[in-house]
Amino acid sequence: MRRFLPVYAKAIYAFLYLPLFTLSVFSFNNSKLALWSGFTTAWYGRLWSDRVLLEGTINSLVIAIVASSIATVAGTLAGYALWKRRSLWVTNALYLSLITPEIVTGVSLLALFQFLFHFLHWQLGLGSVILAHSGFCLAYAVIVVLARLRTLDPALEEAAADLGANDWEAFRYVTLPLLLPAVLAAGLLCFTVSFDDYVITSLVAGVDSETLPMVVYSMARKGVNPEVNAISVLITGGLGLLILLAGKLEGSSESSR
Amino acid sequence: MNVYNWDNYVAHETVADFEKLHQCQVRYGIYASAEEMLAKVISGNSGWDVVFPSNSFIGPMRELGLLLQLQKDRLPNLSNLETRFQAPEWDRTLDWCVPYMHSATGILYSRTAPIAPRAWADLWSDAYRRRVTMLDDPAEVFGACLKRLGRSVNAVDENTLQAARDLAIQQKPFLRAYLSEQVRDQIAAGDVLAAQMWAQVAQVVIDAAPQLAFSFPAEGFALYADNICILQESRHQELAYEWVNYLLEPKVAATIAEEISGATANAQARALLPERLRHNPVLYPSDEVLARGEWFRPLPAKAQQLRDRYWTEIKSA
Amino acid sequence: MTTVRLPRLFLLPSQWLLGATVLAPLLVIAIYSLLTRGAYGGVTGPTTLGSYGRVFQPIYLYILWRSIWVAALSTVLCLILAFPLAFYIARAARNRTLLLNLVMLPFWTSFLVRTYAWMFLLRDTGLLNTTLQRLGLIHVPIPLLFNVGAVVLGLVYGYLPFMILPLYATLEKLDPSLLEAALDLGATPASAIWRVAVPLSRPGILAGCALVFIPCLGAYLTPDLMGGGKTVMIGNLVQNQFTNARDWPFGAALSLVFLGLSGLVAVGLQRRGDQLL
Repeated sequence: MRRFLPVYAKAIYAFLYLPLFTLSVFSFNNSKLALWSGFTTAWYGRLWSDRVLLEGTINSLVIAIVASSIATVAGTLAGYALWKRRSLWVTNALYLSLITPEIVTGVSLLALFQFLFHFLHWQLGLGSVILAHSGFCLAYAVIVVLARLRTLDPALEEAAADLGANDWEAFRYVTLPLLLPAVLAAGLLCFTVSFDDYVITSLVAGVDSETLPMVVYSMARKGVNPEVNAISVLITGGLGLLILLAGKLEGSSESSR
Repeated sequence: MNVYNWDNYVAHETVADFEKLHQCQVRYGIYASAEEMLAKVISGNSGWDVVFPSNSFIGPMRELGLLLQLQKDRLPNLSNLETRFQAPEWDRTLDWCVPYMHSATGILYSRTAPIAPRAWADLWSDAYRRRVTMLDDPAEVFGACLKRLGRSVNAVDENTLQAARDLAIQQKPFLRAYLSEQVRDQIAAGDVLAAQMWAQVAQVVIDAAPQLAFSFPAEGFALYADNICILQESRHQELAYEWVNYLLEPKVAATIAEEISGATANAQARALLPERLRHNPVLYPSDEVLARGEWFRPLPAKAQQLRDRYWTEIKSA
Repeated sequence: MTTVRLPRLFLLPSQWLLGATVLAPLLVIAIYSLLTRGAYGGVTGPTTLGSYGRVFQPIYLYILWRSIWVAALSTVLCLILAFPLAFYIARAARNRTLLLNLVMLPFWTSFLVRTYAWMFLLRDTGLLNTTLQRLGLIHVPIPLLFNVGAVVLGLVYGYLPFMILPLYATLEKLDPSLLEAALDLGATPASAIWRVAVPLSRPGILAGCALVFIPCLGAYLTPDLMGGGKTVMIGNLVQNQFTNARDWPFGAALSLVFLGLSGLVAVGLQRRGDQLL
């Protein structure tokens, strides 16, 4: 088992990165089609002058960071509350948000926004997108956090209470620290879901909130697009570096302990 | 001003040049499907000023009160349009839209294929077994089947639609997939030998893979045109008119048509194009070929419902 | 007294969020499903139950059934692939966050772009087939793309992280001494995992399965591209009503029936005492 697991893990990582590898190769392809016809870095050069693309990237980052923060905080609190005390309608509403097909969520939100904004004289925009994203990320956050809470021993908080901690202190100093890995996982999941969402976003976005997936979809609608591949490489490369750096820091702090 | 368009439908510098010329800010958004655009602007407070709907959307959008009636004296460049686009059948007097680019549906095929497809019927032949694709679009698949039956692409009666459905189901054993433009990599690589495809996309693929060719099927085929429209809700009508007029300028339109390999509806612009594009038979088929073409019209609700159910039956057959 | 107040306070943000983004829109959809299709899309009066009548035609039920088994198969495969990896990450001596982040990284590229990459890998002239041919293992390309298998592959790839994350979140909590105790008592490593780790990570397994199964059921792009549009799933059907067919009432009715069915699964889960939420 000790020998099998690392090999297995490497195989899964290879499976996950295989498509990423091919698309990065094609980002250097001279041809616009997925047929190799010579090396070029021209697509990367074009990215910097593409205003639509840059704006989309910034919008996506802003939306994903804000929405995943809102959803993770609200979701962690709700998960904790549900663990303490069941609330049937919140649980059912969360289920509903999970099982509603994206297109239905998108269309119904659009209809609702259009109806309300008509009277308020508002327009679709960043605000409506962030609201929608926080909404559909919430259930993911609650599920991940609750799954962790269910493995915790309720006696811990009782012990804290016996030692004189009030509810808030018991949550803040006993449960929350134990929850952190799940909160991190929830935040990651929410960020990923939000950053990659196309269907709902494309419906509730307004003039000022075209996101990266929207731009990418429009550009790649016709098939492989080397410029889109180049963006993907830059994004994963950039975020990958950040992750490695963070990993280094974590690793060194662990070994210094 | 806010312009909402398909991706890759103006040249690289078009927007920047216009901004310099008029000292203004243009927000250029792109959409991936006509339905996405319609869902947005249908509310009448989307914030967009100019959109690019195709011919069959003009009637519905006008009836929904979304389009601005154009004051033609503010668009002197309208006269640059080709004669057949001065009075197109979806808007005889150009009161609501200005034709921009046009295209048609035909067959993109590899010259290495056993036979060169001249008709839709060839896509039902054993020569292409499992090496042919149709567009993933009910209007197009029904269009081809209806043409094979010798009917209009806009046919609405139940019996005709049923016959078209049966024909499409017969084709399934020969089909590799229902795939839209994404098939271009596969046909260029030789996986697929023939594909139902739009002429403009086909031209781009042929440019990259010269072993491919395009044919306009003998039984007839569907025609398309995308149009420039100003929305009723526009808060920047002054600039919107300037933008439409600017896109109609021969030089501007020619640069766009050259960069995207598109077929412009602008006669003056076409005259400025390099020979390779100006007389390209895929982009600008001869009048004799065009005579077999037919414009898509908006489908009545009942026929659309029927067609949609048949489409589900075809795909899950 | 105070034990009631804190949870109530903690629920507030989520209640508002759910009201605005789930319940209110759902009400809109419920109203739509009772209206009539407008001439050019949208909805108009009069109210009718006709859309619901159309849902229960054999062809749509058949599509629903097929979607369920494709989604179920993908979920099981995801679980089989994900569990050992999540276990490995959770037990790793160091760099756990890094390993976890590396799982997510490929998913920060567009879904569409990743799907195209798979299409390139799987097509007749793609990387896999040409490699196998060069190695002399096959002579004719094997049809890897445009079938149900390709759809399942696309779904498994697309939703694997949704399985790995909740599994990791519970396995990380697992006390290693429990496994060691099992080993000391003579269990093989595999049976120690099967009999100790798996039962104890049950909440994570359930959460992961739900997170994978439900979006798989509603997927439409993967069946369209990887399946070549020949494998219609319930997601395609719903999507099509709101786009190409522009039949919003029928789309709304379809999705409500679909929601009802998924709700039954959720209720069934709760009955068994396995709570997800």
